[in-house]
Amino acid sequence: MNLNIDAIKGQTFDAIVIGSGISGGWAAKELTEKGLKVAVLERGREIKHIEGYETAMKNPWEFDHRGRPTNMAAEEYWANMRTGYTANEETRHMFENDSKNPYIEKKGGFDWIRAYHTGGKSLLWGRQSYRWNREDFLANEKEGIGTPWAIGYDDLAPWYSYVEKFAGISGQAEGLDVLPDSDFLPAMQMTAPEVHFKNAVNKKLGRPVTVGRVAHLTQPTKQQLDLGRSSCNYRNKCSRGCPYGAYFSSLSATLPAAMRTGRLTMIHNSIAAEIIYDEATQKAKGVRVIDQNTLESKEYFAKIIFVNAGAIGSTSILMNSKSNRYQTGLGNDSDQLGRNIMDHHLGAGASATIEGFEKDYMFGNRPNGLYIPRFQNWGKDKRSYSRGFGYQGGASREGWGRGVGADGFGAEFKESLTHPGQWTVGFGGFGEILPNPENRFVLGSQKDKWGLPVLEFSAEFGQNELRMREDMMNEAATMLEAAGFKNINAYNKQDTHIGLGIHEMGTARMGTSVKNSIVNKHNQVHEVKNVFMTDGAVMASASCVNPSLTYMAMTARAAEFAVSELKKRNL
Amino acid sequence: MKIVFKFVSCLILGDYLEQFNLKLMMKRRDAISQIALLVGGAFTAPTLMAMDVRKGNSSIVAVDFSLTDAQRQIVSAVAEHIIPRTSTPGAIDAGVPAFIELMLKDCYKKPEHNSFLKGVNDLAKANFLAQPAAGQVAMLTLLEANTKDLMRSYSQKKIKVGDNVDKDTLEGANGVPFWRLMKELTLLGYYTSEKGIQASFVYEPVPGKFELITDMKPTQKSFVY
Repeated sequence: MNLNIDAIKGQTFDAIVIGSGISGGWAAKELTEKGLKVAVLERGREIKHIEGYETAMKNPWEFDHRGRPTNMAAEEYWANMRTGYTANEETRHMFENDSKNPYIEKKGGFDWIRAYHTGGKSLLWGRQSYRWNREDFLANEKEGIGTPWAIGYDDLAPWYSYVEKFAGISGQAEGLDVLPDSDFLPAMQMTAPEVHFKNAVNKKLGRPVTVGRVAHLTQPTKQQLDLGRSSCNYRNKCSRGCPYGAYFSSLSATLPAAMRTGRLTMIHNSIAAEIIYDEATQKAKGVRVIDQNTLESKEYFAKIIFVNAGAIGSTSILMNSKSNRYQTGLGNDSDQLGRNIMDHHLGAGASATIEGFEKDYMFGNRPNGLYIPRFQNWGKDKRSYSRGFGYQGGASREGWGRGVGADGFGAEFKESLTHPGQWTVGFGGFGEILPNPENRFVLGSQKDKWGLPVLEFSAEFGQNELRMREDMMNEAATMLEAAGFKNINAYNKQDTHIGLGIHEMGTARMGTSVKNSIVNKHNQVHEVKNVFMTDGAVMASASCVNPSLTYMAMTARAAEFAVSELKKRNL
Repeated sequence: MKIVFKFVSCLILGDYLEQFNLKLMMKRRDAISQIALLVGGAFTAPTLMAMDVRKGNSSIVAVDFSLTDAQRQIVSAVAEHIIPRTSTPGAIDAGVPAFIELMLKDCYKKPEHNSFLKGVNDLAKANFLAQPAAGQVAMLTLLEANTKDLMRSYSQKKIKVGDNVDKDTLEGANGVPFWRLMKELTLLGYYTSEKGIQASFVYEPVPGKFELITDMKPTQKSFVY
């Protein structure tokens, strides 16, 4: 009897956070710092900061296949192979084996790239960090696409600032409406041909070009140093894990902050199977998990639950949480669960060679490039499609790899490849994908090894995306030409899918009413008020900028609301 | 005026040069007629485990791949011609021949196994190893020229695949030709080996800073991180 009570006590917290990735880490930090006892349920294995980054300090020759994926990996990591880099030898162990974590593509294709371990994809992200602009929040309503956002730029602005100061975002203030400035750490430098490009594009086409805004410490604050983080070492081996804690991740920043409050309990290997709904109180009372190794079921209880399992993960947990009241999934009165999968479409742009600048070179491997903010459908600019795209890219000098396609072999050839080659440059677009209710996933009838439904996806680009891609390709070439670059190669890859950007968004959108959406303006499930969702799932539109910074801001904002509601005894 | 670049593919400088080289090489083609075997061979199956790997697509799964000692001798000799020992170590010193075999076995599939073996066997038939060094070089020079014809069925693209990540892809219908495989794997094996890196570059695994250089000398070695 006593034992049972103790056991339940040990499984009861003020708050449960499902997932330890970029938004889950923030939820853990904010909730613990505000005095709550928090359990973070992580479905994957534990990775420890620094010591867990097993390939971080390896030399190139220590990889048997020098980084390339093997046939075995190509077979098993079939979705990861589509990205062209996640299944490689340096980082494969940080991504999930797709054969062991199956999903089904019913129509079109969907690249679902997963990373189940402490910190999730915050260990692997591109670190590009941009605020949404005012119009991003208004576009759905103005154009009658999807559903109107329930929040605007002003709701998030102070929270952007709050998370930026903690995370550390390096960048250059430009004063642009289209790309609002963050609270920046010093910007990284542009190379000489990049400065030339920036000036030429600005002068000839009137378009601003800025250095990428990245979550890297270039001049750490005391708060960041106190967490054990330090300045970027310019290795550009970030996705192996950074032993210097120089880029923002749950492991380098939010989880240590949460841990030092003494109120965080990390629970690994625990797959959230469902949120337990209490019909009497109309609230959630806890989470049932399945141990990923032993398959044992266990329940944890809390007053509030933050669902931060990644867009697809979070929504599938809600779908799986069936009760009398919610027979198609928790909070699904609007039938919006699983709909409007979005991402950023990429694989269209242009590259070129640069003549001159022979005396320019750089020491250090900058983990960043240039950013060209959206200029389409902005101000007086009008296009044949809606929304727009930004570009990421940059210039560098060729290495020995240029020898592969070049003529020659022998002593002279060998020696020539030891020197830097010519400058080359490339830019690829990141385009906004419109919400489309038919781009969706459902729980399938097959079960995975944990007895959970295998997800079935239907996702395809629409005409808007396809038209935008043509423009992404052509405008990139136009800009490279404006800068006087040579041998321009413009491309528009035809066989990409939604998901390739690994910016999966939507499927539990925010909106103004329980009739049109899953969560309200506080990221609260409309009528299950102690359940909060603050990851990509809630996005009602996608903007064209990288999304993580917005998840961070949204999470910190929702956490404050949740705690104040808890104190008012509203939850 | 908007220029549509859609159909402009792969205008790398090398392509122009290739045209000229090809004409020069044609004259020598008759002299070493055996090497004509190297071009135009029919290759099997689609190629490259690339961006469009579909779930359950195991139609071209790996099969066992190994070389005979005679074949290994040819591979070693060709690799050493590409990266010879000079004042610094060569391909053999850096373990490149074994690396090539390992890569073919673990990272390539049937189409490349076939095209690679065909290339090695063609060299065997042409008595490659019995030629004097200059003859070997001439054979390989011709092989390189001829490979350009084969490579025309491939298009090379730089694709943006993620934040700050570009990927070079090679798309084509058949197995990547022998010479291209040899060259790519020799360079990869050598310039990422410990001996190759230490002898060729300034290796800086932890640069600690990002600094612009404005007065680079022609003797500057590449920084490798």
